Amino acid sequence: MQSLEVISVNIWQILISLLNLLILFLMFKKFLFKPVNNMLAKRQSEIDAKYEAANEAKRIANEDRLLWDEKIGTIKHESEEMIKKAQNSAKRQSEAIVSKAKETADSIVRQAENQAQFEIQKAQDGIKKEIVEVSAALANKLLEREINADDHRSLIDSFIEKIGDDK
Amino acid sequence: MNYKTRRFALVDIIYIIMMIVPICFGMFLKVLTTPLSDGISISGARIYFTLPMPVQNLLITESQVNSAIVMVVLLFFCLYLTHGIRYGVWLKRHHFAEIIVEMCTSLVKNNMGEYFKSFGPFIASILALSALSSLITLFGLFPPTSDINIIAGWAILVFILITYYKMKCGLWEYAKSFANPVLMAPLNIIGEIATPISMAFRHYGNVLSGSVISVLVAAGLQGLSNIVFGALPGFLGEFPFLQVGLPAVLSIYFDIFSGCLQAFIFAMLTMLYIAGGFPLELYEERKKKKAQKCKN
Repeated sequence: MQSLEVISVNIWQILISLLNLLILFLMFKKFLFKPVNNMLAKRQSEIDAKYEAANEAKRIANEDRLLWDEKIGTIKHESEEMIKKAQNSAKRQSEAIVSKAKETADSIVRQAENQAQFEIQKAQDGIKKEIVEVSAALANKLLEREINADDHRSLIDSFIEKIGDDK
Repeated sequence: MNYKTRRFALVDIIYIIMMIVPICFGMFLKVLTTPLSDGISISGARIYFTLPMPVQNLLITESQVNSAIVMVVLLFFCLYLTHGIRYGVWLKRHHFAEIIVEMCTSLVKNNMGEYFKSFGPFIASILALSALSSLITLFGLFPPTSDINIIAGWAILVFILITYYKMKCGLWEYAKSFANPVLMAPLNIIGEIATPISMAFRHYGNVLSGSVISVLVAAGLQGLSNIVFGALPGFLGEFPFLQVGLPAVLSIYFDIFSGCLQAFIFAMLTMLYIAGGFPLELYEERKKKKAQKCKN
């Protein structure tokens, strides 16, 4: 079998080799680059979508946080105010209760004092009366008719009045 | 698509077989057609048959057959890599395919700029065809890259592309680019024509010289071995002991390293020439003007 010379130019061989390279180029384009690039593009789009979703979620979360922060701030303020109000009203109420209690206590004391006074008066009167009666009876018994009860009552009364005053 | 079905595995196996079969076929053909000879011979590709064609007969040679083998292998390699590729499911080969594509695309983008980013498959095919055509020597086949016709075809295609992109701004601009300065016009024209020739001969010469040196060293070592160990009796005297070692190292350099390097250089030069010859700024200016004219 024959061999080519080491350097031999053949136009048809050159053309075939040129076409070979072109065909291989098309093959690479169709069977290697196209599927891989398709896959890469799909992956890129998927990643982009995921990033977008994540960014959207982050944005919403930030907005929510701001909203809640605001709400929490107002709530804090409100609660402070409420506590202050409650404290004030409680103070007022307690003061009122205390003053009322004081009044009641005072009135009770006064009443008691009055009653006591009255009782004392009553007792004193009673005792005076009894003493007068007893002394009158005594005098009556002792002196019999010498001393008329009616005549001396005023005398004895004044006497006993003196005793009461000395007390 | 399910990746564990028998059908998927079957298609995979077919692809792998179709990658191996052409190489086996080439080796078989080589064994059948190579005559037994003990001398050293440095010749071109073996001619299988001749087809009558106008101007020149078409010779179907080893280099033609081997390029076809390389192409078939590459086709099924691509099919295997992208078999069942889909977003969301990952096989190791898909990652590998992605790496190849990304590397080629970034190489093209870095060397040629954004405008030429669709050149990825072309550069990838040059790299793959050239490298595999050289590496096919590892199977004992004739490397198509050591045939000037094969490389010349690629270089001419590259030259056509260079000229096409240079002419994109119009013929007048293309002609003007040579006369800059006017006195240098002949040299510029010669330089333009020299581009594909130098590209073709660089690649071809490197691969061919590698194989020539390998053959020469192997033959020389056999002779030396005969002289040194010739006195030993029987089989020991005939066995070329000195051929063990050095040719393997040379093969690593000439077949693997040089083959890949030349492929890379060829692809690199292609990118630089095409991108360098294209006057991008001028082209964009003209495009703008044209768009304005259309608007008016």
